[in-house]
Amino acid sequence: MIRLEGVSKVFKGDVVALKNATAEIQRGEFVFLVGPSGSGKSTFIRLLNREEVADEGRIMVAGKDVGEMGAWKVPYLRRQIGYIFQDYKLLPKKTVSENVAFALEVIGRPRQVIRTQVPAILELVGLSRKSERLPDELSGGEQQRVSIARAFVNRPLILLADEPTGNLDPATSVGIMRLLDRINRSGTTVVMATHDRSIVDTMRRRVIALDRGVIRRDESQGVYE
Amino acid sequence: MLSRLWYYVRETFVSLWRNLSLTLAAILTVAISLSLVGASLLIREGADRATAQFQEGVEFIVFMRADASPDQDGAIRNVLDNSPAISGYTYVDKNAAYLEFQQLFADKPELVESVTAEVMPPSYRIVPADPDAGNVGEIARQFGEQPGVKEVATATDAIRQIEDFSNRVSQALLVAAVVLVGVSALLILNTVFTAIGARRQEIEVMKLVGATNWFIRIPFMLEGTIHGLVGAALAIPALFVVDDQVLAYFQKSDAVPLFRGFAVPEGFVWDTSIWLLLIGGVVGMIGSAVAVTRYLDI
Repeated sequence: MIRLEGVSKVFKGDVVALKNATAEIQRGEFVFLVGPSGSGKSTFIRLLNREEVADEGRIMVAGKDVGEMGAWKVPYLRRQIGYIFQDYKLLPKKTVSENVAFALEVIGRPRQVIRTQVPAILELVGLSRKSERLPDELSGGEQQRVSIARAFVNRPLILLADEPTGNLDPATSVGIMRLLDRINRSGTTVVMATHDRSIVDTMRRRVIALDRGVIRRDESQGVYE
Repeated sequence: MLSRLWYYVRETFVSLWRNLSLTLAAILTVAISLSLVGASLLIREGADRATAQFQEGVEFIVFMRADASPDQDGAIRNVLDNSPAISGYTYVDKNAAYLEFQQLFADKPELVESVTAEVMPPSYRIVPADPDAGNVGEIARQFGEQPGVKEVATATDAIRQIEDFSNRVSQALLVAAVVLVGVSALLILNTVFTAIGARRQEIEVMKLVGATNWFIRIPFMLEGTIHGLVGAALAIPALFVVDDQVLAYFQKSDAVPLFRGFAVPEGFVWDTSIWLLLIGGVVGMIGSAVAVTRYLDI
């Protein structure tokens, strides 16, 4: 599903974000990217949906060479990749269901599809009863659920998550992880960058540890350290 | 497809409304500049029509009587062909004169119906070798005394002056208009830029979930195009005011009889209106296209 071959990325001022990284992630895997701040976790994720372009090496996602594809194809790549953030990135003036519907609307899905898919996904994340609320009327955990609903409503092959529990307390984080686990069990590949030691140690999934842009460790059923 | 169309329309109008003060400024600037463009075109057309008979060096016209005999006509033609004072002429026969009359008064059908080709005077439009006014007056007077000649009309200095004046006015208007059209394009660019800024978050989400670049751009380009089109639509009534008030003023003036022809048919005003809409739409589209390509980092 995802393959990196000797991928390097250097930012301005010689900041090495990723150095000769090679890894392969199979369909349906759940992978934690761990490491200190600035170790290259976010860059790893941003390279996968072509928010960044690698300086060297090759990145294959869902059978496509991400670095080589024309700019006009990038939107179609992104339709196969859900993306969630530490700060949710919800639109403050749209309700919960409008936020989720927006993701389908802007890729041209017909209205009948939107009418059935949005309530179904809100049911899955447990927010059916709050579908008409605005984001700032929700708790942090609920906002993250909306953002997961938005990322998953188009049933992507891959879900990328950049510190999704970074702003949440431990109890709420557990709920979010249960949800991501459930989505993963339905066949979606999940790649999640995190600092959260207890989550990684509890879940016992594959762990790729990065340090100053280098992959130090890659083990299945791994732990944080 | 229908839902996409609805999406574009909705987003465009939401954005127009959100940016109301800038939107109005852009629309009014377009309206004013296109009004000037239109006024300039109308005045030029009016002047051209009023002096149509006196163009391309023609300094005076010999009108023959409608019932002039072939001999009388031949005598005039003989002089014109042989006199060194005449450098050229064109003969306008009854039918051609009638056709021209029809064109000049196309919007006054009752006037056109009241005459026939038979009663139109044929004429010679004459280019003298020496266009000096005194010389032309002397030659014209001689032609006036020939049998079969109804009257001789000369392009007086007054006509030349007014022709020159209307040229200058329409050119000055056009220069001001071109500058203002440029200002409108910049204002539209800025308005669209502001609209893009107001929707940064939405655009970020759209890119992340895989909206195509054109899907993101189209509402902004529609917005700019609407500025241009609405501005142009507001300039159209101004055109009719210019036609009704300014051109009509020239027509009523008794000082220069020829300027009674200072009129443009309504059809020309409508044609000009369509041009204004086109210019407005294109200016809006260009302004917004520059804004989306420069500021919509996609």
